[in-house]
Parts: sequence; C-alpha cells; structure tokens
Amino acid sequence: MKAEPETHLEEPGALAHESRLTDEPRRHPIVWVVYAMLYAIAIPWYWPEGYRGALIFGLPTWAAVSLAATLALAVWTAFVIHRYWDEEDA
Amino acid sequence: MDVTGLGFGPGALAIIALYLVSMIGVGWLGRRRRQSDSMVDFYLAGRSMGFAVLLLTLYATQYSGNTMFGYTGKSYRIGFEWTVSVLFMFSIIVGYLLFAPRLVAVARKANFITPGDYIRHRFRSPVLTLLATIVMIYALGNYTLAQLKAMGAAVEGITDGQVSSAYGIVALAVIMVIYETLGGMRSVAWTDVIQGVVLLIGFSILLFVVPDLGGGLTRVVETLSVSEPAMVTVPTLETCNTWISFALLLGCGAAIYPQAIQRLYASRNVRVLKRSLAVMAFMPLTTTLIALLCGLTGRVVIPGIEGVDTDQVLARLCALIMAQSTAGYWLVVVIFAAALAALMSTADSALLSISSMFTRDVYQAHFRPHASQAELTRVGKWSSWVVVAVLVVIAIGTEKTLVRLLELKFEVLIQIVPCFFLGLYWERLGSRVVLAGMLTGLAVALGLTAMGMTRVAGFHAGVVGLGLNFAVCAVGTLLTPALDQTEGERGE
Repeated sequence: MKAEPETHLEEPGALAHESRLTDEPRRHPIVWVVYAMLYAIAIPWYWPEGYRGALIFGLPTWAAVSLAATLALAVWTAFVIHRYWDEEDA
Repeated sequence: MDVTGLGFGPGALAIIALYLVSMIGVGWLGRRRRQSDSMVDFYLAGRSMGFAVLLLTLYATQYSGNTMFGYTGKSYRIGFEWTVSVLFMFSIIVGYLLFAPRLVAVARKANFITPGDYIRHRFRSPVLTLLATIVMIYALGNYTLAQLKAMGAAVEGITDGQVSSAYGIVALAVIMVIYETLGGMRSVAWTDVIQGVVLLIGFSILLFVVPDLGGGLTRVVETLSVSEPAMVTVPTLETCNTWISFALLLGCGAAIYPQAIQRLYASRNVRVLKRSLAVMAFMPLTTTLIALLCGLTGRVVIPGIEGVDTDQVLARLCALIMAQSTAGYWLVVVIFAAALAALMSTADSALLSISSMFTRDVYQAHFRPHASQAELTRVGKWSSWVVVAVLVVIAIGTEKTLVRLLELKFEVLIQIVPCFFLGLYWERLGSRVVLAGMLTGLAVALGLTAMGMTRVAGFHAGVVGLGLNFAVCAVGTLLTPALDQTEGERGE
C-alpha cells in the first residue's frame, strides 16, 4: 500500500491535487436566461384550466410539452457542462 | 410499502439471496484494492473514481426505492400532476451547476473529505460546522430509515410473510454494513455499479411490461380521461407553485446531499465528473418517468387503493405480471432485485456519509484532532455499525409513507444551501450571519411543519424557510460589512 497524505484539520491548505478553475456556468448570464425560459415552458402554468389536449405518444399535450421541455433542459445542461465548465490541472 | 401476494419460489429466493450475499464479495474486492489506511482512501476511494463507476454510483445513490415505490404510489394518487417528478429530479443537476465547479476546485486543493470540511475551511466556525453536520446527519438518518423500512417490507413480501419485515431489515442492514466497512467508498461504489445496472434493467422491464397491463399507455390515459379527468388535466396555478417549490426543494436539497458532495470530491478528475453529470441530466427520463407511467397504469388496472397503501401499487402490478406467465414471474424477480438494489445502494451511501461526518466533523474536530488516520478509519467503521444498529431499531418500530419522510428530510437539509450557494461566491458572507440564517430557516421550516402548514400557497415549508434564510444572509451581510468577515478560501 502506498502512503496517502495525512489530512489534518489544522492544515486546510495541504495540497494533494493542484487544480485551477478557469470557467464556470455562473459567470454566463445566457446559461440562466435559457434555463429560465425552458423552466417556464416545463412548468404548465400557461394552459387553460382543465386542459388536456390531444394525446401525443399517449401523453396529454400539456404533459408532452412539459416533458419535451425537460428533455431540452437536459440537452442544454449537457452543453453547458461541456462548454462553460473548465478547470486546468496545474 | 406492503408487497403481499408476491411470494417467490425457492429458486427465485435463492438467486436473490445469492445476489445480495455477492455484495459482500464485492466489498471484499474493494478492501483488497485499498491504497492506504486513511480517511481519503476509505471515504473517497482515494479520489480515483472513473467515469463508469462515478456515473453508476451517482445514479444508484440518487434513485432510491422511493423512486420505484413511493413515486409510483404518488402518481397513482395524483395522476399526471406527478410529471413534476421528472422535472425536479433533473433540477438536481442544475443545483450542482450553481456551486459544484468551484467547490470541486477548492476541495481538491484543500483535501476535503466531508461537506463539513468545506464549511470549516470557509467560515472558520466550529459552531456553524457542528450545527450543519448535525442537520446533515439528521436528514441522512431519516432518509436511511425510509430505505430500511422499505427493505423490510420488500423481504416480507417476496417471502410471502415467511421472513418478517424486522428480520428482513436486520439481514439486509447487516449485509450492507459488512461490505461498507470492508472497503468504504470503494466497496460502496462498486456495489453501486452492479446495483445501478440492475436498477436500469428493472426500470426497462417496467416500461415494457406495465403499461401493457392496461392495454397500452394511450388506452390507459383515455380511460382515465373518462373516469377521472382530474388525473389527466393540467394542474392549477397553485399546483404550478408547488412544481416550482419541488424544483427548488430537490434542486437545492438533493444537490447538497453529503453523499452526493462526497462523490464530487471522489472523482478522478474534473473531466470524469463533467461527463458523469452530463449523463445524469437525462436519467429522470429513464426512471421517474417510468414510475409515473406505472402509477397511471395502476390507477386503471387496480383502482380503489388509498392512502399509505398506494405505496404497494407497483408490487400489486408485479403480482399481476407474475400471474400471467413464467417469463412474467422471472421478470418480476429481476424487478424486485432492482428494488432491493435501489434501496441498498441509497442506504449504504447515506450510511457511509453519516460515518464520515461523525468521524471527521465530530470525533476528530472536537475530541481527537491529532488522531492517526488508522484510528479515524477504525472509528468510522465502528460508528457505521452503531448508526445502523440505532436506525434498524427505529425502523422496526415506526410507520409513515415514503414520500412524507422524503419531504421532512429536505425541509431541514436545504437550510445549509446558503453555506454553499452563497459562501463559495460572496466573500463578505460571514459565519454569524450564515448561522442566524440557518437557525431562522430551520425554525420556520420545522415550525410550519409542526403547525400542520406543510405548504404555504403551494410552496413547501422548507422552501419558505430557505427564502427567509437567504434574506437573513443577504440583509445581515449588507448591514455588517466589516464585522463578520472570515479569511476562508472562496475558490480561486
């Protein structure tokens, strides 16, 4: 077994890994604007009361739209993670 | 959860028993691969997790038995309104994006093992760290409790009552704690890989088998549209508030789960973590969406179930599948193996996390600051046995639905959110202000819950508490700019 660095509470700065954050999603307003828009579509507040709509793949229209927006949120998230999160190993 | 009527034959029970006992073998393999007798190795697998292991351990940990049974029961009760479950499980990944990049950068620099390490490092406040640790241990204890109770019910059901719930809880808890103490995070993560795969297979089977019981999804929804239109029509505006509240509750609460944060710490590198989280964003569509469809089918196929009994809807659907054919019988065996996998993979991760927080943030921080790594690891293993023993005793003697237990846990857990979401980015935020905010949030959340006001205008009590918590942090910091600053590290 190889030795691991001790992790004393008094030495928070003891470095086992060097890393440097160069970009993160919080710095990009566009990320959160798109999230807000997609959440606004995913939450079904804008349909008339008692609405069901035609069935799309067996789902009521409003539920199908909500799920499609959630899928779009997942795609956007994958893109955001790829594009706007960067950390260089030193 | 009651799974009466699902008695498996000796062959199926033997296979499930073999599967469960094999987890101990995986735990032993995890022990053989340990690199050192240290907390980093025991609790974070030496920060060595690759893409497949990290993804499957995140998946198996995040999706619990509650997803299979509790969520199916909930959609049985409220219909398509439970589409929100897909959205809120997705929201957890958005929650990560709000703090994980910076936390991970700091964590790898400063060798964090627990969430408490970050709080101690950032705020330099033993009181704040201890309170946050107590809140996290309470929330995780509650969560583990729900998993243990569901494990007992599942065992009782599949043995047709020949093995009581209490014995089921004890047996599975012992298996779990054995493989966990053998190899720590490495064993837990490796068992999660197997359990995650079984869980994915189980949900896939449910998707293809259950809707057919009602003649296909389209027919199920058409039937509900006639008999119970409220189950398929769009939610009210107040319910839309609840959707927002759920997204906040889970997006914040589940993202700062201690066991989730420790998996962020444990990744081999940032590239691996990014890929895993990107895939996790799609997982609600393979799990909670299927639970939703199962619940809706149940409403048509087996109507008339009410209250707590709705948590057994999935089990009753499985009983119908078993009765149809031999193939159906064996598919249900796989589904129940998946259910046990879901329960154990969530419980073992929570248990390991409780053990790490007790050892690191209570024992080492307050009693033995200079203890050796070997001593700390040993204390961590013993604490796992003690914690599981206490939880097993409680689990055998209490009763509540799974979803209610889940909400109670998040009500308190999310009061720690400002420590992460604000603390990582706002240098002026000090420990006393955060402590005041956390206490305010806890008082409001627990007070409203105690008064029976679990929701206010559709918003969960915990979310209302979190709103006030954030307000106290913001106003308190702006009013005391120079008095309450700390020197802790904020990131870069």
